[in-house]
Formats: sequence, C-alpha cells, structure tokens
Amino acid sequence: MKVLVVFDQGLSGLGGVGNLNLPLTIQKGSIGTGMLLTPHFAKVNAQIIATIACGINVFSENEDEVVKKIALMVKKVNPDFVLAGPSFNFKEYSKLCAKLVFKLKEEGFTNACAMMSKENQEIIEEYSSKIDIIKMPKKGETGLNDSFADLCRYIDATKEADKLLAIRKEICYS
Amino acid sequence: MFEKLEKILTPIANALAKNKILVAIRDGFMITVPVTIIASLFLLFSNFPIQNWSEIIGTVFGAGWEVHFGRVTAVGFNAIALLAAIGIGYSYAREEKIDNKIAAALVAVVSFLIIAPQTHELFVNEAGRSFRGFAFSNLGTAGMFLSMITAILAVKIFGFVIKKKLVIKLPDGVPPMVMDSFASLIPAGITIFVFFIVNIIFSNTDYKYAHNFIYQVLQAPLVGLGTSDLFEVTYQFLSTLFWFFGINGPAVTNTIFGPIHKALTLENYEAAQAGLKMTNIFTSGFSDFFCNFGGGGSTLGLVIMMSTIAKSSRMKTLGRLSLPAGIFGINEPIIFGLPVVLNPIMAVPFLLAPVANTVLATIATKIGILPIIGGVQLPWTTPIGFSGFLITGGLTAVAFQFFLLFVNMAIYYPFFRILDNKYLEEEKINLNVKDEIDDLSFDDLSLD
Repeated sequence: MKVLVVFDQGLSGLGGVGNLNLPLTIQKGSIGTGMLLTPHFAKVNAQIIATIACGINVFSENEDEVVKKIALMVKKVNPDFVLAGPSFNFKEYSKLCAKLVFKLKEEGFTNACAMMSKENQEIIEEYSSKIDIIKMPKKGETGLNDSFADLCRYIDATKEADKLLAIRKEICYS
Repeated sequence: MFEKLEKILTPIANALAKNKILVAIRDGFMITVPVTIIASLFLLFSNFPIQNWSEIIGTVFGAGWEVHFGRVTAVGFNAIALLAAIGIGYSYAREEKIDNKIAAALVAVVSFLIIAPQTHELFVNEAGRSFRGFAFSNLGTAGMFLSMITAILAVKIFGFVIKKKLVIKLPDGVPPMVMDSFASLIPAGITIFVFFIVNIIFSNTDYKYAHNFIYQVLQAPLVGLGTSDLFEVTYQFLSTLFWFFGINGPAVTNTIFGPIHKALTLENYEAAQAGLKMTNIFTSGFSDFFCNFGGGGSTLGLVIMMSTIAKSSRMKTLGRLSLPAGIFGINEPIIFGLPVVLNPIMAVPFLLAPVANTVLATIATKIGILPIIGGVQLPWTTPIGFSGFLITGGLTAVAFQFFLLFVNMAIYYPFFRILDNKYLEEEKINLNVKDEIDDLSFDDLSLD
C-alpha cells in the first residue's frame, strides 16, 4: 500500500522552530518522523512513497490555499492512503491535518485520516464527526508506539469496510 | 528488546507523571522557579566572580551594599518552603479540580504556618523574652518536605469538605468574589482546625514540632540519597531513557528527584551563608550545566557535527537549523525530526552521553578540578560556557564544559556517521531512481 504523509516543518526534519516559513515541499520517500513509522507500516505492508511538508507559518497565512494545493498534489501522487499527522498537541499543525483530510473527503478521496492528541479539543469537536481522527498522546506522554500500532490497524482495515467500522469506534475520536 | 523495555517503562511513567500528588509537587516547585532564579541573580551580583568586586561596587553604593541584595536572596532561598506551600497548594487544587485555587493555596500556606515553630526559646533578648515569629531556619530548606506534605493534606481536606457540600451558599446576585469567599469559610475552617490539632499532638511528643518529625524521619534520609554517588547518574540515565521512548523524561523523574535536587542546592546555599563548607555535589546547577548540553541526551555535540561535517543534505540542513536552539539547550527539532526518539541507531549515544558527562563531572568535582556548586540557580537555557562561568565563577569550569562537549561528540560520532551514510545512500537512490514523484513540485501547481 502506497502511503503519502503530511508533516509540518518539525516532524519532517526540515527545521523545527527554526524554519516555520518552510514553503510547501514534496519529497520522495520517508523523511524525519517517517523513520519511526516505517517499521510499523512494514507490518501491514504499507510504505511511505512521498512526504509533503509545510512550514506552519505558511499554512497560517493562507490556510485554504495551502489545503487546496496539498489536495491537488495528493491527486497527482495518487497514493492508496494519506496520513495527515501525527500532529501531537501542535495546534496549527493539527488544524492543517483536520482541514486537509476534510477537503480530501469532500473531493471523494476517503482513504485518509488525521492523528492528534486530545489537547486539540476545538479541532476535534469541529471535525471528529466529519473525518477520522486517530487518538494519540501529546508530545512527551506515554503511548506513542501504541498509537502507531493503532494507525497501522486502521490503514490495514481500510481494505474491509466492516473491519474499519469496528476499529474506527475503538481508536478514533467520536 | 525496545518493545519489552517500553512495556516496563510506560506504566512507571504513567504512575509517576499522572499521579496527582507528585505532579502537584513538581509543578508547585516549578511555580517557585522564577523567584529562585531572580534571587540567584541577586546572589550572583553580590558575589560576582571578579577580584575586588565588592570594593568596586562599594565605591558607587557604599560599603555593605551586599546586605540589600541579600534581602532578595533570603526571600527566594530562605523562605522556599513557604513559597512551595503556595505553589503546591495551588497546583494540587488544580489537579483536584477545585474552582477556587487561590483560596486552596492560601489554606495550604496558613496550615504550614500553624504547625511551624512560632517561639524560639534559644533566642532571648536582654529583657529575657524569647523570640516570637517565623524563623528562616524553618521556612527554608529544612521545612521543604513538611511544606509539601502540609500543602497536599490541607488542600485534600479543603477539597473534601467542598465535595461534601459543607459550604455557605449566599443568594444569587451576591458578587462572585463575596460568594467565593464565603464558600471557602467552612472548608478553610475545618482544614485549619485539623492542623491546629496536629500541632497539639506534636507538641506533646519529643519532637515538639511537625518540622522536627518530618525532617528527621523523612527529609534527612531522602536527601541523604542525594549524596550517594549513584544519585545523579541514575537521574540522568532514567530521564534520557524515558525521552528515548518519546516520554518527557524530566517530567517523570523530577516528581521524585526534583525536591531532592532543590534541597541539596539550598543546603549548599545555607552552608555558604553560615560560613561552612558546601558538601553536596548534585545541585540543580551541576545537573543542568554539567550533565547535559543542548537538551536531553546531551545532543549539542551531535548537532554541531550535523551542521559542520554531515555529508547528507538532510542531516546538514537539520543540523544548521537546529543549532541556534541547541545552544540554548533545546533539541526539539531533532527529537522527532532526525529522529532521535525510538531510533535504534541513536539509542546508545543518546543514553551514554549524559551518563558520561555526569560521571566525569562527578570525578572532576571529587578531585577538585571543579568546585562544588553553590546555591545559584540559572535558567536551564543558559548557554554552555556562560553557565559554567556564572555558576562557578571560574574559567576552569568553562574549559571542562567544552571538554565534555568534545567527549559527547566522540560518543556520538560513530553513530552519527552510520545515520549520515544511511541518509546519504537514500538521497543517492532518490537521485538515481527516477519516477513520477521527482517531477512533482508545488511551484508548478495552479489553483485556477
């Protein structure tokens, strides 16, 4: 399964707080935090084929345009699955993830999910009934590896509707 | 192996970092940190490590100018137990979801003062009357553990009474401040009564005061652990180990080690003030400025190598972008960006570097290369070099910090090379194997 991931400047390893103005970028394969996801993805035969990264200031200055551009790029890459996250408790990045997955769903691409911690309460309240947002711990909290395992179960379940329904109830915000 | 280890560590981290009492104590001391840092700056200024400093400043402010600075230092250091009672009371009220947190903090500090010694028979004036009042000796380091226990118990009782709805309710329309004040009356009264009784009980024992009991039975043995050679190395190793699994290490370990570090630091300050020899090696300053450089895992050396000698563009770019933050002790960009967390290649140096620093700095202190660090507490973001000079007053410590940085680079180097080569290989493959993604660019996208 070909997966495209969407990171901010920190998770992509393209700069953290030193590079909030990182322009929208696409890179082949897995970078930054993708390295943590790779061994988990391998268990469900999934592979990161490309990573989109965006500086969070770039997103905040023009949210809708950034989301449209990423959605357009997703169409061009044509992956089997899009992961927006894991965005931990990073508020702006989580907002980007939720808005993107919602936009993709509007455009008919449903094999996508966001992943964030419960601290993003407003975003979760606004989007959890519209899209799938997988639960994860905030930065520095326990349970990161378990949440990656949940993500893989979700990705694997996208092949079967019944299975997905059950898993969604278990691991996504409702 | 990592999975098994994580399964062991996760419940420990949860038990410590989610325990309301331990979190309240940790966060309560955190509330006092700005005051202790400001007090430290006053202490630092009045003892600045320049020859004839006192005389130089004295030419402007007059002889004995240090006394005025000492007043601020005394409040920050000698009244730490009092300040901690407020901070811990407030934090525990937050954990217990008590609405009126400031009232809870007030009750905590009042309870602490009720059981604190108020007469001092050994201090008698010319008229033969003994001193009545609160003494620094009870409000400072020696009262720290009692203030922790009192604040927690007081807020627990205060919250319990509120939950039992034993509160005075005024009619609607009464201003909220008045309403809150009356609502706290009975809970505060019951709490104060309990501590009134506690004081009477202790006054009928050989201990005379709760202070003496807690100090002898709890504080002295626990702080004694901090004088063990293994204390700091255990703290550093556990903090880094938790970080490796993505768990905020110090947030977990400081629930146990934080108060002991604080007590060890303040004991040194009090010893220096009394003209005695300072004996505690593992102070906050030692922990912050000789065990870790550049954040958890002592990654500054790694970041310097990434920004200068990395061959892969991924490492070089991340290194250069991370270096400014790294100098100030922040390594967030590389924790998830390199990544360091859960990265088996980085596990060994990440765990080893802080341990090596701690062992070397401990030996250096024991053989007299480094001085024992006093009570000065600086922000943990103070850069390498500056921190060494300010906290010890000598350039030897600065040189030693850079020696440790060099040791860290040596520890990280082989693993840095493995990762750099891996990324370089990936970059080469990406360059050589062309597919449709190579042709994609956001610059070519049009939203029209």
